[in-house]
Amino acid sequence: MHQATRRKLLLALLPLAIAVVFTQSRIDPVVADMHRGVKTPFAGLSTEFILGPLLGMQQAVAGLLWVRADEFFHEGDYDAILPMVRMVTWLDPHNLDVYITGAWHLAYNFTDSSERSDRRYIPAAQRLLEEGDANNPTVYDIAFELGWQNTDKIKDYDRAYYWYKKCAEERKGADERGEMTKPVPMFVWHQLAHSLTRLGRIDESIDIWRKALAMSMKIVREDPKDYSKRNVRDSERHNLELMLKRKYSRYTHEIDWALDSKLPSTTDPNTGEPSARDLYVFKSAEEARQKQEQYRAVGQNPPALSVGQPRPPAVQPPWETAFDVRPTFTADRVLELKGQFNVGDGARVTIRLHDENWRPPQLKAFTFTIDQSVTLMQDQHSVRQGIWGRKIDMSKDPKMYSFTSDRYFLVFEFDPRGTSPFVQDRFGWSGEGMTDRKYLTVESQKTPPNRILRKVYRITRAQVLRRAPITEKDVFPADRYAELQRQTP
Amino acid sequence: MVTLAIAKQTLEDMLRRKILLILLIVAVAMIALGPSVGFLSPRESSAVLRSLGLAVILLAGLLITVLTGIQVIPTEIERRTIYTVLSKPVQRYEFVLGKFLGGLFTVFVMLASMGIVFLGVLRYQEGRFSPDMVMGVIMTFFQMMLLGALAIFFSTFATPVVNFFMSFGLFIVGNLSSVTESLLENKNVATRAVATLVHYAIPNFGNFNIQNKLIHPQVVIKNLNMFIMQNVAYAIIYSAVLLILAIIVFDRREV
Repeated sequence: MHQATRRKLLLALLPLAIAVVFTQSRIDPVVADMHRGVKTPFAGLSTEFILGPLLGMQQAVAGLLWVRADEFFHEGDYDAILPMVRMVTWLDPHNLDVYITGAWHLAYNFTDSSERSDRRYIPAAQRLLEEGDANNPTVYDIAFELGWQNTDKIKDYDRAYYWYKKCAEERKGADERGEMTKPVPMFVWHQLAHSLTRLGRIDESIDIWRKALAMSMKIVREDPKDYSKRNVRDSERHNLELMLKRKYSRYTHEIDWALDSKLPSTTDPNTGEPSARDLYVFKSAEEARQKQEQYRAVGQNPPALSVGQPRPPAVQPPWETAFDVRPTFTADRVLELKGQFNVGDGARVTIRLHDENWRPPQLKAFTFTIDQSVTLMQDQHSVRQGIWGRKIDMSKDPKMYSFTSDRYFLVFEFDPRGTSPFVQDRFGWSGEGMTDRKYLTVESQKTPPNRILRKVYRITRAQVLRRAPITEKDVFPADRYAELQRQTP
Repeated sequence: MVTLAIAKQTLEDMLRRKILLILLIVAVAMIALGPSVGFLSPRESSAVLRSLGLAVILLAGLLITVLTGIQVIPTEIERRTIYTVLSKPVQRYEFVLGKFLGGLFTVFVMLASMGIVFLGVLRYQEGRFSPDMVMGVIMTFFQMMLLGALAIFFSTFATPVVNFFMSFGLFIVGNLSSVTESLLENKNVATRAVATLVHYAIPNFGNFNIQNKLIHPQVVIKNLNMFIMQNVAYAIIYSAVLLILAIIVFDRREV
């Protein structure tokens, strides 16, 4: 090769090198965005797996690890799954099923010998889902799962509403702007309406059902032969009708099946909305007199009631629930409960025992390592014929119930917002129809205020170990307990 | 013409190599067996099948490319057939380009074979054709083109064994492009300088990994066509740089 040719070739390298750097600088932002959340190859992999990510095959390694995690699950080796979930989400942060299944596993599957969940894992489950949602903002799946876990497991309806709203409204908007990779399905709107119901925001819930029904009717008009879409529309119509009937029956007129049975004939065939007509006013002096007697029967002076006047809510006057419980440690870390609750069969009382200084933690980053020294037990028990009781043996599970703290809170709660519809038929959605001389707590910071029943004991380790009895002197003010729980850990 | 003739001869020679055919058969068998791990949920099964298929194609392509790239020139020297070739009116640059193109055609044939089987397996398993997977195979091809150029460059001065480890090692480092890119904004000046050098000087093989996009529908690349074009341009320009260097080095080499 001539010297001159060589020189020309060498000179040609310069613009080519500049072109390489320029092209790379254009590629970098796209690659960084595509690999958001990826932590590879330093993903804590063992040597047999490390080569895969090094060769650019992290998704395949993630897939194989997930297959292995599935095998561990079926073998019952739950502890082995957690590090694999972490590795898979580091290698492949767009695998939605790993976040969702991993969080479900954390929140539900670690249990004591009596199948009570180890709730210390719940913050980790939530954080994992939040991380997954941040890495996958163009789909609704993980935000929906956050809503569901807050509804079903944690019973934090405010947070459930937050996530469902994000799913339904924000991502619906993003979908319309073409920023989402798949449309938000109608069941997201259904859950949004349910979460508003659980918050006692009934009119807003009804509005969402109406909105969902309008959307579904439009969808069905566009594709009238699709059976599943028609089913969705019909379920929305049914739920709207149910909500309106419950609203009217619980708050605006006496439950009167003779009257209610006539309602379908005056129901709007499209929306399911019943007409108010004159069904909710006193039609005779006899009806007004009967209502006044109901007030007197529970020792209250009745308001003035007359024919043609709207009837007061069914939940008035409030029902005395006579809620109470006697806890006893019958053996070392064996708790026996005997309670009473004047409510319909099937209402569930929540029982919670935890370290005095425990607060629901907010994790900044996901970790499946939990503080083993924390004791946190939660259970529920159903009421039967006005009484309830249970023996809770925590002595068999020292890993979950280490009892290393000196003091504990033992809490008994009934929240009308989380209870069954047939109980709410009596008390209303927010407990408007119930009262209790001893343990009624009005959560006035909520809108509308929620009326819950709560009895709290502040007990010592010695009492847990049955070295001293629990007495009524150990009862702690419920308002003060709620205030402590709201404080940041 | 001379270049193409050498390329054709190289392709024929490579396709006769048993080792490459064995690699192809093993890869095709692994792709065909992919559905056997599909006992998860349908969405998970699909992701695992796709990621495994693309990984097998990448791994087989990697081995085929490196084994081809490290052999094409040294074998000619070792067998002394290069004297016959270069005694003809053949320029050394034509020889290097011909060998590179021959190797590239070999890789193309192998990747295309695996890609067709992969698409067939997906069609059988999912009941529909997945044209988006073709994009994954194309990106792997351009990734291998860059790797092949690198191996050819090293083969002009290094022995096959040394070349194997250098090519393989740089492929691994080049796959860490997302790591080096994240270090470009490091507060430590020295770290930033090293990261900048590594990021822009070493071929970024990680650029070509679009498995995230292909496996998970929710991953959005704002302008996919532009991104593909940029990567193709990157592979072609960088390969040109490496081939020019290979030509210069080979031209001065005593054969």
